[in-house]
Amino acid sequence: MTVITTRGLTKRYGPVTALDDLSVDLAPGVVGLVGANGAGKSTLIKILLGLLPPTSGTVEVLGLDAVAEGEAVRARVGYMPEHDCLPADVSATELVVHMARISGLPPTAARERTADVLRHVGLYEERYRLIGGYSTGMRQRVKLAQALVHDPDLVLLDEPTNGLDPAGRDDMLGLVRRIGADFGISVLVTSHLLGELERVCDAVVVVDGGRLLRSSSTADATAQRSVLAVEVDARTGELAAALRAAGLQVDGDRVLEVALRGAGPADEPAYDLVRDAVAHLGIGLLRMERRRHSISELFRPAEEAPGVRA
Amino acid sequence: MSVPDVPARSAGVIHDLGFRHYDGPRLGRRQVVRALFVESTRGAYGLGRSTRSKIMPFLLLAAVTLPALVVAVVLNVTGTASLGIGYAAYPISVLPLLSLYVAGQAPALVSRDLRFRVVTLYFSRPLRREDYVRAKLAALACATAVLTCLPVLVLYAGALLAQLPFWAQTRAAAVGLLGCLLLSMLLAGIALVIAAVTPRRGLGVAAVITVLVMLTAVQGILQALGQDQGNAGLEHWSGLLSPFTLVSGLQRWAFDAPLEDLPDPPGALGGWVYLAVALAVLAGSYALLVLRSRRVSVS
Amino acid sequence: MTTIEVEAVSRWFGNVVAVNDVTMRIGPGVTGLLGPNGAGKSTLLNMVGGFLPPSTGTVALDGRPTWRDEQIYRGVGLVPEREGMYEALSGAELVLANARLHGLPDARGAARRAIDAVEMSAAADRPLSTYSKGMKQRIKMATALVHDPAVLLLDEPFNGMDPRQRMQLMDLLSQLGEQGRTVLFSSHILEEVEQIAGSIQVMVAGRHAASGDFREIRRLMTERPHQYVVRSSDDRALAAAVIAGGSAFGVELRADPAGGGALHVQAADVGRFSHALPVLAAQHGVRLFEVAPEDESLESVFAYLVER
Repeated sequence: MTVITTRGLTKRYGPVTALDDLSVDLAPGVVGLVGANGAGKSTLIKILLGLLPPTSGTVEVLGLDAVAEGEAVRARVGYMPEHDCLPADVSATELVVHMARISGLPPTAARERTADVLRHVGLYEERYRLIGGYSTGMRQRVKLAQALVHDPDLVLLDEPTNGLDPAGRDDMLGLVRRIGADFGISVLVTSHLLGELERVCDAVVVVDGGRLLRSSSTADATAQRSVLAVEVDARTGELAAALRAAGLQVDGDRVLEVALRGAGPADEPAYDLVRDAVAHLGIGLLRMERRRHSISELFRPAEEAPGVRA
Repeated sequence: MSVPDVPARSAGVIHDLGFRHYDGPRLGRRQVVRALFVESTRGAYGLGRSTRSKIMPFLLLAAVTLPALVVAVVLNVTGTASLGIGYAAYPISVLPLLSLYVAGQAPALVSRDLRFRVVTLYFSRPLRREDYVRAKLAALACATAVLTCLPVLVLYAGALLAQLPFWAQTRAAAVGLLGCLLLSMLLAGIALVIAAVTPRRGLGVAAVITVLVMLTAVQGILQALGQDQGNAGLEHWSGLLSPFTLVSGLQRWAFDAPLEDLPDPPGALGGWVYLAVALAVLAGSYALLVLRSRRVSVS
Repeated sequence: MTTIEVEAVSRWFGNVVAVNDVTMRIGPGVTGLLGPNGAGKSTLLNMVGGFLPPSTGTVALDGRPTWRDEQIYRGVGLVPEREGMYEALSGAELVLANARLHGLPDARGAARRAIDAVEMSAAADRPLSTYSKGMKQRIKMATALVHDPAVLLLDEPFNGMDPRQRMQLMDLLSQLGEQGRTVLFSSHILEEVEQIAGSIQVMVAGRHAASGDFREIRRLMTERPHQYVVRSSDDRALAAAVIAGGSAFGVELRADPAGGGALHVQAADVGRFSHALPVLAAQHGVRLFEVAPEDESLESVFAYLVER
């Protein structure tokens, strides 16, 4: 069961190709979209919302044909734009209630759901003040609230952490996670920051120059590698020598990289060898952990990246 | 799960305050558009907004209605045989106030939405661009109609109270009200188009006022010029230039309204030309607004 | 080789104190200037670049104050955050114009080298209006590099760049740092800073909160116990041993959401704990699978610095 399905989705504006034969299946949960440059991303969003017909190819959102049934799609989807889109002279409550009404909610439901959703996004007394005086973090929350108020089945979040400082970023990512996990709403989130996506997404779609580069679950993209990173506080060279003498393959300088056999942890001699060598040398073990792959590797050719479908 | 030998205590409950899904009714397109229309109309008088936004509209409403009230009272007190001012002529006499009103409200209705790209939030919902434009046009037209019609109704009430001839007054008032409605629609269209293309709200207000004042002034000059030079064509076609005289011209042509100082559509076709121009302005404003709304990108 | 010296600098705008008594020294290599929004990073960069005078204190490059010294611009390249470019020009024309403005003897050659350095040679002849945000950023960098400055100042350079563009820019900045230039860039996206900044300067609400390598900074934060996560073949036994040994004052056995479990340790003294752990594990025959500090990330360090 996919939330979004595209087949051969192409969009050209004269000589410029924004999307090029894009075929993806996005499962329910939190999916990250990364890498698309400005034109490709905004084009894709417009097409998903049924506001722009593609040059060729098909696109299905929540089982509906986005081209033919655009209005029905927009009724079930919430959208949080990246750009500024909030009026300055109304309060958060007024805006979200109004947008709830435009989504078709009757007045009482609009008011009640607005109050609830503003609580969920973390706006308390501020909700009665005019939006003009809000900080970036509060504005992002209002944008998110209006996307959620009508209980959509899918939300499109366009760079939700844009302009937020690290604490605000953390909060927003936590919210995105909750929307996917607790609220039971599927999420498509775009971001340029791979670390964020690794934290929050179940799957990641990498688009480059309008074409699909890679599509993978986050678990696969961040799977453990067969390398053990070891960091000690002194005599690193001697440790490396001792481990090599014991038959291990060791690379690295300040942080040693010990090759693992790739067998299960019970059969892996490296762990005990490292432990004992460190204890024997009387040095401090600052870190010992298996390295993981990262999403940034998806930007490189297929042979180097682990377990993904191209 | 009762435990028989334990003394009963009141049970504690923790309610689930998680995200609630919505299974209730979702209203269709018509009701949604109506909700937008109602909210915009109310907003044009500052209802549902801050107190500050109520000041100008209500002040103007009072200013527009007051003279009519005075006339009505004087009429009843002095017992003269006719209203000093015709129903059809009233809007022109308060022309500046009407211009001020649409100039103030049109930007409030659309500049903000278009400039701050709030329309992104509208168009990513099941609301068509045409629906949005229709709702906004209708809202400003209705709001302006209140402003134009209220004084007419006050005069009419005064006339009836003074027991002026019923049918004559009713007919004249009806002509006046029709004119008010058409005028409201024309002003709404012109003001919204100008507001939609000016980037800032303050600029929008100034632009609308400037345009309306200019049109009125040019029309007046051409009319006077025509009269001076005995050029009836100039004098009477000049009425096409300003929405106010467009409406009054139509009232003269269709209903013989007593508007002697204002242009009269000349010849057999004059009235039809006036009508065509009025309809063109209405259709044109709608089309331009839809075009403008298309230029706002949702993403 | 140029050192930026900021000495007891404050800068106020009316009652707003953007930079409050900041002293720092920034040498060659890549340094990240971090802080929440409104911390004063842009203001500080503008002062270093000589675009703004400090209200008190001095900002100097190798001993020469930056304010009102046109010669400074020979050695400094500034890449501001805001756009403001002449859209009708092509990238090549813009860089060339800058080269000429600097009065370089071989303006064309310098422009070409700068454009090659930012990998914009292919698109250089197209008008700026056709550029994406990332491309505009790179051309801005080329204009800042054309006179081969020893100091490069960048205000939020990665803003809006997609991952590939960002990686390219990071590589470029790392290269420049390795060439011995002093590269100072501001950001509040920690994952970017972590990857290329050799050292960081942290500002919070106009004050200078910390400087140096962020791992070192973490170790300096002694009043905050270090958190470690340990996965082993027998977490309970290990927990008991660690507590009994006294190298940690708190342990917590927590189930993993992904399955299995882990031991979370709070240690006051990193040195003591890191020495004791492998020894205890070996003594009790416990196999260690993972030993990792939980709060040593730049993010964690930063959060702590901001809270103070």
